[in-house]
This record gives sequence, structure tokens and C-alpha cells, in this order.
Amino acid sequence: MKQQYQWRSLLLSGLLGIISVAIIFQMVRIQTSPQAASLRDQGDMYQGEYQTIYPPRGEIYDRNGHLLAGNKTVYEVGVNLGELRNPQTIALALNVALGMDAAQVITLLTQAPASQSYAYLKDYVPADKIAELENLKDQFDAQDTGGENVPSLAGLTFKPHLARSYPENDLASNLLGFVSREDRGYYGVEEKYNDLLAGQPKLVWIPSDPNLAEQMPEVPGGSNLILTVDREIQATVENILDTTLAATGAENGTIIVMDPKTGEILAMTSSPRLDLNEFWKFNEIYPNGAEFNRAISTQYEPGSVFKVMTMATALDTGTVAPTTPFFDPGYYEIGGAYIHNWDGGAWGAQDMVGCLQHSLNVCLSWVADEVGTNNFYNYMQRFGLGRPTGIDLAGEASGRLKLPGDDDWYQVDLGTNSFGQGVAVTPIQMVMAASAVANDGKMVIPHVVKSIVTNDRQYNTPTQIAGTPISAQTARTLSEMLAQSLERGEGVAKVPGYRLVGKTGTAQIPGPGGYLEGVTNASFVGWGPIDNPQFLVYVWLEKPQTSEWASQVAAPVFQRIVERLVVLMGIPPDSIREVVAGQ
Amino acid sequence: MKIKKEKMDETIHATRTKMDHLALAYKEAPWRTQRKWVVLFLLGTISVGMVAGIYLNVTSRAALAGRKVQVLEAEIADAQRGNADLETKLAELLSTKTMLERAQAMGFVPTAPEDVDFMVIPGYFPPQSVEMASSNVSRHSPALDPRFSQSLFGWFDEKMQKAAAR
Repeated sequence: MKQQYQWRSLLLSGLLGIISVAIIFQMVRIQTSPQAASLRDQGDMYQGEYQTIYPPRGEIYDRNGHLLAGNKTVYEVGVNLGELRNPQTIALALNVALGMDAAQVITLLTQAPASQSYAYLKDYVPADKIAELENLKDQFDAQDTGGENVPSLAGLTFKPHLARSYPENDLASNLLGFVSREDRGYYGVEEKYNDLLAGQPKLVWIPSDPNLAEQMPEVPGGSNLILTVDREIQATVENILDTTLAATGAENGTIIVMDPKTGEILAMTSSPRLDLNEFWKFNEIYPNGAEFNRAISTQYEPGSVFKVMTMATALDTGTVAPTTPFFDPGYYEIGGAYIHNWDGGAWGAQDMVGCLQHSLNVCLSWVADEVGTNNFYNYMQRFGLGRPTGIDLAGEASGRLKLPGDDDWYQVDLGTNSFGQGVAVTPIQMVMAASAVANDGKMVIPHVVKSIVTNDRQYNTPTQIAGTPISAQTARTLSEMLAQSLERGEGVAKVPGYRLVGKTGTAQIPGPGGYLEGVTNASFVGWGPIDNPQFLVYVWLEKPQTSEWASQVAAPVFQRIVERLVVLMGIPPDSIREVVAGQ
Repeated sequence: MKIKKEKMDETIHATRTKMDHLALAYKEAPWRTQRKWVVLFLLGTISVGMVAGIYLNVTSRAALAGRKVQVLEAEIADAQRGNADLETKLAELLSTKTMLERAQAMGFVPTAPEDVDFMVIPGYFPPQSVEMASSNVSRHSPALDPRFSQSLFGWFDEKMQKAAAR
């Protein structure tokens, strides 16, 4: 009997042992099979998700703290396919509210693969549209009787996120640039400072299991920027440019206002402007990307405003003095070619102030010839011509200054360059070069960012001197000559109570077969008040229709701007400032 | 000699008998053994139950705290977006275009330079650049309550140190 039980026990133990080993073997086999890995992956999908946390893009303010570029909540619209009940209702609602193609929505929702749990439909939907859809969803939920074909927006989800917004629409658009849907800055400040503004995105695991929930890591936001731009001055300048373009019929225009002592850009605009909240119209408005900000990206032959640099060179080298006499016979031969005045006439006996006042090409060609080729081009390079200024905006062009030794440089270029023909510059280059004359010989690098605010600290950008191309004495002498020539003129650039400095420039426009007939570029550079310059204004009008002369179309723009600037910047008239200075 | 050995055997036998009686007297009753095992089993069951209960309690509290963290994170994100929206909305309401329209509607016109009167105010300096850094405000997130991360030993050590400090 005992023996019988012993055998049974052994048999049972053996069987159970074999079954146990088989179970363990099967467990190991299943756990290590490729299907198990796939199932584990599927399971992991529901444990949570990796999300890239994009910090809010840094904001951009004007110099007085007015918001120029901020952020706004927009929504991604999608459908949780597991909760979807009625694709037709969703398609119809999105068609009405967002203008989406209903048939396309139905296809997206009904033909999604079985493994897909979420269907993306549209992004960057504004909050008011989402409010409409949420309202509709609530109404359907209230009427839901649980039937089969009941209208329902179940499954429709809205994921909020921040997107760039420009409360001033097109104000300072040429300077700000814009941010694409991929959160990347294009042009202007947005592109130049993209890395600072965008911050550092972080990849974070967000568990669905609350047991695994952790405090989210802090993702520092992008740095905020405070610009040197003054919103009021910018708006005024844009308004003046718009009215000028309408009044003169000019094809385009550019205006820059800068503090010549610090290089701070107070206003910068060019036409056309773009409503930055509708940046997708960029291609319609700017067939050529370089036209987005003509102030820094478009190069042109500036014409007689360039005479400021020629005369500065001559004064600094001691070649001429303000009273140096010159007899204008109406032409000047240089390099086998003849230079003529803008009116083709002969202006007879002049001094250097008269040469500037009447903008005599013949006189300035003679001056450049007297200065000498090497001296002239050395000075032009010292003025920063032919290379980018280094302004902190994306897309700056370098211009073109032909130099002796270049394949396309001829001796006659010395003559034509002296009055701003045969040389390509950008308006910002001219502004930087002119700042040397306005700022006692010290040439400042223009910049648009005044401060960077990051991690609760504000870093102010210092004034950067690009060089001292001329002496302080030369700068003061030339300023005085330009002020006198302005005062002796017809007065379209004068502002009562303020002594200003300025120079017009009318330039022919080069075409494929030489200079174009009947069209010009009209420019004006000026600053003031002469004893303590606080603003430097550059105006460029392309192909004005009412008059081809800068003195008639560009100089009045300078006058109108200065009339507003002295009020907006609180600059008292010279007489009051003299009294205050004397106290 | 034989008599002596018999006496000794009797003594040994008597002693053994006494010891057997004693052992029998002290032997545990069967019901007593059963009760001991039942008590031990119950103690084990209660211990396991207590551990399971504590585990469930801690787990549920951790889950609730985790859920709260998730809700708070979502609320923080909502608040940040709300702030950004309000700031942008305010900027839109105070934009140059809106302000200009409002000013014109109220009859204001731009000031001409000759209409401006300047006054000298001794000791007055116009405001310089705008300051936007709030360096006196800490942006660091608050530290996690030690109760959520402290070990039992750490808690005990802290209590001991506090007690010693008194």
C-alpha cells in the first residue's frame, strides 16, 4: 500500500514538474518573442508620451516698453478617434467654422489606420473660432440622447499653444521680421536674434500614470528684447512716408532715423510694409526677398549725398578748406571722360560751400582728383563703404565700392564716385558714414537692440564705434559748411528755431544699357541740431513722379520729419537751449 | 553485590517514572498547539494585510498627488497662456493706430514745434531706458515638500537633531 502511494506521488510530482518547466519555458519564450516587443511598444504608447516643451518666444518691446511682438493662444484642432461618434457632424462644423473641406475631413476621420488614435486636422486656429466650436459641442452634448446617428462632436479636441502675435500689425515690420509656423524667425530682429528669442526647447516624458507624474522641468522662456526704436517716432515716420509716396508717386521709399552719437535706430521703415500677423502674404508683397527691408538690403547709387564723404576726405587731408576757390567751367575731364553738372551748366567762381550748396559734380570731381586716388578710396573704406555696417538685423547687403585694381575700375570712376555715381551703397551704410560727420568724427555702428532681458537680468548694449575716419575738427567744419549751404538754399529743409545740417542727392538709375532716362533716386541726409546732434535722418525716394529732384521731393520729407522729431523727442529750439546752457 | 545492583535498578526506574510523569504533566495539550498555529497564521495574515493596506494607502495618495501635479501643471500652462493673451490684448488696445484714432475722435491734433512751451525744472532728469528685469523676484519653482522625498531614516534623524537642539 505504502509502495503504491510512493509511486503515485513520484508520478504526480514528475508531471507537475514537467508542466512547471513547460510553463516557465513558454513564459520566457513569449517574453522574448518579437511579438512581445511589439506589444510592449504598443503598451508603452499608452504609458505617456514624449513632448517637446517649447518655451514661450521672447517678447519684443520698443524703447519705452511698448509691446511690438508678443504671443497669443491659438489651437490645434484634432479628433481622438477612439471617442469619435459622428464624423459627418465634425466635418460639417469644421466646414462652417473654419472653412475646411468637409469631404476631406470625413476621409481623414473614416479612413485612418486602426493603429491611429488621433487625427490632426488644423493648427493655428484663433480662440474666437474655438469658442464657436466649443459652444456647438456643448449644444450637441446637451441634446445627446445616446442614439446611433445623433449629431455629435464627440472626439473633437482643441490643444492650445502660443503663437507669435504683433499687436501693432505692420508697424516697424521691415525691422522686426516675422516668425513662421515652424517657430523660426525670418528677416530683421526675429531672424537675427532667433536663438535668443526662441529659447531652448526640452524633450520631456509626460506619463499618463499619475503615480509616475513628476514636477515638470523648468523650461526657461526666450529672452525679451528692448529695441532702440521709439514707437511714436516709428509711426510718425511711416505715416510721413506713406503720404509722401502717395503725393510724389514714388515707386518706393526708405527712411531711417538714428541717434548719431549712439547708433541707436529710432525709426526705420521702407515700403511696402507687411502686416506681420499675415506673414504668409510675404511672397505676394515681396517678389524679391531683398526688398523686405530696403534700408539695409537694397543697394543703389546714392548720388550727391555722397559728396558729404568726398568733401570730408578733402577737408581731412587738407586738400581744400571751406573758402578754397573753384572756377566751374561746366565740365571736368578725368580718365578721358567729361563730367558735367546736374543741369549741364557752368557755375563760375565758387567756394567749397557753394560747391556743396549747388551740388556741383564738376567741383567735387576736381576735389576728388586733387585728393588723389589712393587717399580717396582709403577714406571711402574708412567710412565703411563696400562692406556691411554690422547692424543687428538679418539680411544686410554689403554694397559695392569699386577699388583701383579691380577689373571694372577705371580712372573716370574716381570722378563719378565723388558725386555718388558708379558706387552702390545701402541707406544704412550712408547713415553710418554720415554719423562720423555728425558725431565729431566718431562713426558709430547702427543697432536696433537696446537691451536683452534674460533670466531676470537686463543687459544693455553699449555704443560701438566703428572707427574715426575724420578728425573732430573736420567733422565740425563740414557740418558748418553743410548748414550754411542749407541756409543759403531755398529753405525746403529748414525748421524754424533749429539749425540743421543736410545734403540732397539726386541720382540717375543705372539700367541694362546705361542710365535710365527721366527717372531718379532722390535722397536726403541731414541731422540736427548742429551744436548737439540728437537725430540723423536719411530719406530715399525711388523714382518720384512729381519731380526728379531731391530738393523738391526728399528735402520736404526731412523737414516734416524733423518738425515732428523735435516735438516727440522734446528738443527745445536753439535759443532756449543756449539760454539753458548759459545758466 | 547482587542486592546492591537490584536496589540501584529500582532507584533508576523510580526516577525515570517520576520524570515521565513530570514530562506528561508539562506536555502541551493538542488544542494548545493548534491555537498557537492559528495565532501565528492570523498574525502573518494581519501583517500582510497591514503592509498591503499601507501600500494601498501610500499608492493612492501618491496617485492623487500625481494627478494634482498634472492638474497644476496644466493650470500653470493655462495661466501663462492667459498672461500672454492679456498682454497682447492690452498692447492691441493701446496700439499707436488705436490711440491715434481715439485722440483724433476726441479732437486732439498733433502739436507743432512753435506751440510747445519748454520749462526749465531744476533737478529734473528725463527718464532713461526702460527697466524690465525683475531681478528681486525669484523665478525658481518652489522646492518639493520634504515629506514627499524624505526617507524614514532621514525623518528620524531630523527629529533627533531637532530634539537635541532643544
